[in-house]
Order: sequence, then C-alpha cells, then structure tokens
Amino acid sequence: MEDKEIYERVVKVISEVLGVDKEKIKPESRFVEDLGAESVQSLELVAAFENEFDIEMEEEAALEVKTVGKAVEFIKQYLK
Amino acid sequence: MKIIIYEDEKWSNLTPLSYLKSVFELRCGFSSLFEKINSILPDYQKGFWVRDYIKKLIEKKFSLPVNNTSFFEDDLLLVNGRWLAIEGEIKEDEEKVAVSGQDIVYAIVKKENVNKLFDGNFEEFLKRIKENIKNIEEKRLVINYPWDLMHHNPEAIKKDFEKLNRRGIKGNFSDKASIVGNENDVYIEEGAKIHPFVVLDTSKGPVYIEKEVEIFPFARIEGPCYIGEDTQIMPGANIREGNSFGPVCRVGGEVEESIFHSYSNKYHDGFIGHSYIGEFVNLGGLTTNSDLKNDYSNVTVYLNGKPVDTGLLKVGSFIGDHTKTSIGTLFNTGTVAGIMCNITAAGILPKYFPSFCWFINGKYMKGLGIEKAIETAKIVMGRRDRELLPEEEEVIRKVYEMTSEERREYARKSRKT
Repeated sequence: MEDKEIYERVVKVISEVLGVDKEKIKPESRFVEDLGAESVQSLELVAAFENEFDIEMEEEAALEVKTVGKAVEFIKQYLK
Repeated sequence: MKIIIYEDEKWSNLTPLSYLKSVFELRCGFSSLFEKINSILPDYQKGFWVRDYIKKLIEKKFSLPVNNTSFFEDDLLLVNGRWLAIEGEIKEDEEKVAVSGQDIVYAIVKKENVNKLFDGNFEEFLKRIKENIKNIEEKRLVINYPWDLMHHNPEAIKKDFEKLNRRGIKGNFSDKASIVGNENDVYIEEGAKIHPFVVLDTSKGPVYIEKEVEIFPFARIEGPCYIGEDTQIMPGANIREGNSFGPVCRVGGEVEESIFHSYSNKYHDGFIGHSYIGEFVNLGGLTTNSDLKNDYSNVTVYLNGKPVDTGLLKVGSFIGDHTKTSIGTLFNTGTVAGIMCNITAAGILPKYFPSFCWFINGKYMKGLGIEKAIETAKIVMGRRDRELLPEEEEVIRKVYEMTSEERREYARKSRKT
C-alpha cells in the first residue's frame, strides 16, 4: 500500500472518530492537544485503525503514538 | 496433626471474583469463608494450599505456610476453602473423607495414608483420598459458583448473628432514628453513627452494624443485614433484605440480597440486586442491574466463556475487583464483568466482559494496557489508605496474561460488527 493511501485512510478514520474536519488534520497534529482526543477516543481510534486496515496492534505501543504522522508510520509496520 | 485449608480446581468456577484472591477470602454473611472455617478449627498448626500464582500473595496476607510440602509428614486435617461453615462441626472421630455431594468438605488422613497417597500433586492427592479412604456423607454448604454466595447470604447473616450473639446499641443512635421490629435483633458497635430519620427494620432478620459505620438520614435498612467497619450508607438509601457490605464501602440507592466485598462504591441511585461486587469497584451513578427475567425462567450466567444454568430465578451481576462503570450503566440479568474493566453505558449491555476490557459505545476494546491499569489501581487504593502490594501487582500481571487471548477475541469480533 502506498504511503499516500495509508495517510488518507488514517485521516479519514481520525475525522470520523474525533469529528474533526479532514482539512484540519496534518501529519504533525497531536491527537490529544491538537485534535482533542480523550482517553476513551484514543481506544476508539486504535480499534478503528485496526478495522480499517484489518490489522491487530499492540495496544500499549499504539497508545504511545502521539501524532498523525507517527500513526501512519506505526500502522505501516503492521502492513509489511 | 496439621491443618491445610485448600483450594481445589473449582477455584476457576468462582472467577472473576477469585482472580485476585483465594476462594476462602470471598465473603458471605459477616465474614470471609476462611474466618468461618477458622472459627471451628481445632488448635493445630495451620497452612494453606492454593494455585501457584497467588501463593506469595496469600503468604503475605496471612503470614501462614502456603503450599508447604513439609505438612505432608504428619496426620492431616484437610479443609475445603469453599466450605461455607455456618453450621456443622469437624468431627475428629476417625480417618475419613467428609463429603457433600461431589465435594470434599473436610478429610482426616493419617500419616501412613498421607505418605502413601501424596506424591507432590495436590489435585491427585484429593482424588486418591476420596477413592481410598472411607467417605462419610455430611450435608454441608459448599460454594460452587459465585451466585451461591449471594444465595446463601441472608441465611449466613442470620447464623453469624446468632453465633456472635451481640445485641444492643453501643454507638451513636439518634433519638430521631427508629427500629421497626424486635429491638433485640439489632447490634450497633461503638463508634458507629446513625443519623436522624434512619429506619432499621428487623421484621425479617437482624441488623448488625460495625464500628465507624455512618448511616445518613432517611436511609432504610432491612434485616438481615451486615454493615462492615467504616462503611457509609448514603442519604435516602433503600437497603432491602439480605445484604452484606464489607469494610469501607459507600452504598446508596437501592440494594437487595447482595454482597459488596470491601472498598467498593455505589455512591448514587440505581438498583443492584442478587449480586456480588468485588473489591475497589466503582459503580457510576444510576448503574442498575436486572436480577429477574421477564419470562421468569432460570438465569444463565457465562462462566469461563460457557453458559451455566444457575437454577435460580433471581441472579444479578458478578463484578470483578477494580472494575468501574459509567453513569447510567444497565447490566443484563446474570452479568459477569471481569477484573479491572471499564464499562460505559450503551443500552442493555451484553452479559459478559473479559477482564481488563473497556466497553465503549457498544464495542469491546482491549483497554489501555497493564501499566495504566496498575497505575490507576494504585491511585484508587491510595485514596483509601491502601497500598498495592508487590505480590498483588504480580498477581494482576499474571491475570492480565491469562485473560489476554479472551480479551483480544472479544475485541476482534466486536471490531467486525
């Protein structure tokens, strides 16, 4: 899967789960500080990424990911 | 002779309540199963035999030998830790295995047979003594499932009250509070405080109140009821018959025939009935459980992933230690929630929650991980001046591993729906 496609799908999921406009989501956006994710939403994001990419992530490591760009990198590991 | 109070393989029938503690620490009536057994034991050296992963924790809590094979060099009195010893005694008359149905209640085994039948495997030893030593049927109550504890609780409270035989008011009982029924069926320990407009109703059984208990105005307490040390009953609470609240609980709303182990909060309105609430549980405002099906059929409960017919019409919820619910949580009839779950409202909920899972917007999730769970437990316990022991932490980590696959499976299935 191309990086661009992964990024677009990650943005789509974030927008759906957090209710944030896609245009406001940037690679450097931080989930908590910039996009307003609460702890419950962080869990929902992990589940939604797993569903979108049909992968299973290690939860504690996934919850350590702080930005959109890092999330793309993190998900890429599971797609290899 | 030496005494071993033991757990057998049926400890897993009592999960999730038994995940972080031995079966004999579970409560019924005024006290734990151990305290009841201990009150009728003869005066010999005592020890325990428990599953491996809680061995160090039980040693720490009780300061008695645990899984010590040197005990097997003597005559033995073996006592099943699931025995609800509210009646009957231990008769040391002969070598025998006292059984109740399929369960050993206690056994007296002479040294020669101990040597012959024990090869290091305790479960095998139990099977061998049952096969090789005279079985005597002694009808006793043995706890096989979590619902047995709540089912026998009203009777256990009455028996414990008779046995202790303490009556009268030593604490602060407002002259504007009332007792309905026999005043002789009330005991209020010194240091307890009963506010004005509280009603204690002993029509159906006794009410026993320990020290430092505080019962706020307009609460109504029906007997049989036991209220443990430093527990608070919130204003206007409707405490129906058959409840036991262990130490340091906060209880409000309506509660019926339930056991709160200790250190648990149901501060607000909402109904809990025919349930066992573990330790350090927090039930959010308006958390309610159903305890009766609308078709009046027996309640089925999921144990270790399998449905079990309880044979009972009224069964509520079994909530593992450190689990929390959100405001407005509605538990279905016969729900089991594991330890350290975080459950949020989503209409009538499913009947089973694997330990450590988070249930959010109607979906199972794997949770924030073990480190966060332990960090939260330390904060919660610290608020009540309790410290998470290293041995307890080790047990929690072990249960996290043991329940990992089940949790992932539920999350996986949930993701795809």
